[in-house]
Amino acid sequence: MKSKNVSVKELYMMRATKILMWIILTISLLFIIAPLVFMLTAAFMPAGDIIKMPYRWIPKGLYTPNFVKAVAGNDGTYIFIRNLLNSLIVAGAVSVTTVLISSITGYSLSKFHYPGRDFIFMGIMATMMIPFEAIMIPLYMVITRMGIQNSYQGLILPFLVNAFGVFMMRQYLVTFPDEFIDAARVDGMSEFAIFRSIILPNSGPAIATLAILAFRSQWDNLLWPLLVAQTEKMKTIPLYIVKFRAEMHTDEGAMMAVALLASIPMFVLFFSLSQYFVSGSAVFSSRKG
Amino acid sequence: MKRKAIKSHLKRHQNQWGVVFVVPAILFFSLFSFYPIVNAVYTSLFRKKVLSLKPPTFIGLENYRYLLTSADFWNSIRATAVFTIGTFVPLLIFSLLLAVLISQVKYGRKYLQMAYYSPAVLSSVVAAAIWLLIFDPRGLANQWVNFVMNSPGVDHSWFANSIMVQFATMLVYFWKYVGYFVIIFIAGMASIPHALYEAARIDGASNWKSFWRITLPLLRPTVVLVSIMSMLQCLKTFSTQYLFTQSGAPQAPINVITMNIYNTGIRDQRIGRASAMSIILFLIMLFFTWLQFKTSKSDEVTY
Repeated sequence: MKSKNVSVKELYMMRATKILMWIILTISLLFIIAPLVFMLTAAFMPAGDIIKMPYRWIPKGLYTPNFVKAVAGNDGTYIFIRNLLNSLIVAGAVSVTTVLISSITGYSLSKFHYPGRDFIFMGIMATMMIPFEAIMIPLYMVITRMGIQNSYQGLILPFLVNAFGVFMMRQYLVTFPDEFIDAARVDGMSEFAIFRSIILPNSGPAIATLAILAFRSQWDNLLWPLLVAQTEKMKTIPLYIVKFRAEMHTDEGAMMAVALLASIPMFVLFFSLSQYFVSGSAVFSSRKG
Repeated sequence: MKRKAIKSHLKRHQNQWGVVFVVPAILFFSLFSFYPIVNAVYTSLFRKKVLSLKPPTFIGLENYRYLLTSADFWNSIRATAVFTIGTFVPLLIFSLLLAVLISQVKYGRKYLQMAYYSPAVLSSVVAAAIWLLIFDPRGLANQWVNFVMNSPGVDHSWFANSIMVQFATMLVYFWKYVGYFVIIFIAGMASIPHALYEAARIDGASNWKSFWRITLPLLRPTVVLVSIMSMLQCLKTFSTQYLFTQSGAPQAPINVITMNIYNTGIRDQRIGRASAMSIILFLIMLFFTWLQFKTSKSDEVTY
C-alpha cells in the first residue's frame, strides 16, 4: 500500500519519469537493433537499393545473387567454404582443449595437496595480466621455430588453455563434495577415471560457459591468424571478411551477405544457449576482490 | 598407528596424481606465456630484423629511447588514449543507466536483455563491416544525423575527417559492447538484497533516492570492475581500426598501439622495436590491473 497522501505534483513527476524511461529505452533499443536489421535486409538487396536515400527497410524481394557472390568470392574459388571450415575447426578444437585442460588443472589445484600448489596457482593467475597483444611477436617466433606457421597447429596451439578457464574451473570445483571422490576411490577407481566419469560429467554449466567463451574468442580472432595464416587455404573467416571488404568495397549487398553468413553460427549458439553467454559475462560480477 | 601410516601413504600416492594433472598446464603457460614475455623484454634490447642474415646487435635501451622521441609512437599513444577514454566513459555511464532502466521493466525483461546483448555476439570484424556501410556518404548515419539535426543533404564525412573517423571507431565499439556491460551490471544489481529496498520504501525513500543511497554505493565494486575491464579491452583494440584502414580510412588518426606493433613487427619486420612497444603496452596495462586490485581490496561489501 502506497501512502495515500501522494500529492498531484508527485504523481505527475512519477508519470514523467516513467515516460522519460520508455523514451530512453526505445531510442537505445533502436540504436542497438537497427544495424542488425540493416545487415539482415541489405544482404537480400541489390547494391543499388542499399546505398539510397532514404534506406528502404523492406527488401523488394529476396535478391539471392549476393549470397552466390559471397560464397564464390571475387575470383570464383569458393575459398569462403574452406575459410569457414577453418574457423569451425580452430574454434571447435580450442573449446575442447580449453575445457579439458582447464578442468583437469582446476581439479588438481582444488582437490589435491602437494608442495608448491598455491605457487603454481598464483603463477597461472599472473599470466592473466599478460595481454596477448604484447606477446604476439615472440609467440610468432616460437611458432615459426617449431615450423608450424600456416597450419592448424600454429593457429590452435597458443590458445590450448587460458588462465581464466583454470580460475573458473578451480572456483567451481572447490565446492565439489569430497565424499563423491573418496567413495569412488574406495571403489577402486583410478584417479584419471574419477576425473573422467565423476568430475567432468558434474561440471556441466561451468564447462558450457567456458566452451562458449573459448569458441567466441576464436571466432572473433583476427590478429593471430593475420600473423600465422599466410596462404588463402589456411585463412579464417575474419580474414576472409577483411579481404572481401578490401577487394570489392563497392558491392554492399554481397558484403552484408558475407557478414550474415559469418554470424549465423554465433546466433544459432546464442539463441539456443543464451544463458551460458550471459553467465560467461556474469562470472566477473560475482568475482570478489 | 599402522593404519594411519597406510592412510598417509595412500594420500601421498593420490597427491602424486595431482602433480601429474597440473603438468600440462605448467608446460603450456611456461612456453606460451612466460617465455614470450621474457623474450619480448630481451628482444627489446636488440636491433633485430626477421629474415635478416645479420645477427641481432645489442643496443641497450636504444629502442625505448627511439620510441619515446618518435612522433609516430606518440601519435599511437594519443590515438589509444583518445579511443580508450572516449569509449569507456560513455560505455560505463550508458550501461549503468540502461541496466537501471531495464531492471524496472516488468514484462519481457529477458528478451530486452537479449536484444541489448546481441551485438556482442557478432565478431568485431562483422560489426565494423556493418558500420562501414552505415558511415557511407549516402548511408544511414548521414540520414539519421540529418534527420535529427534537420540538415538535409549534408555529408558528415565520417571517414575523410580525422576527428570523425576516431568518433566512428568509438561508436562501433560502443555499439558492440554496451549490452555486454549492461548484463554485468544487472547481475551485480541482482546480488543486492531486496530487503534493503523494502526497508528504504517503508522509511519513505523514493526510487530516485534509493538508487543514489543503496544501488550505487553497493554497486561500487561492479562499477570499478566494469571500468577497468572496459579500459583494458579498449587499450587492446585492433580489429575495428584494422578493417577501417584496410577499407581506405586514413591511418594516422586511428593508428592505435596494437596496430603500430603489428605494422612495425610484421610489415616492417623490426622485431626489436616492436618488442619495446609491446613492453610499454604491457606496463600500461599492468598499471591499470594493479589499480583494479588496489581499489577493489578496499571494496569488500558485506550485507
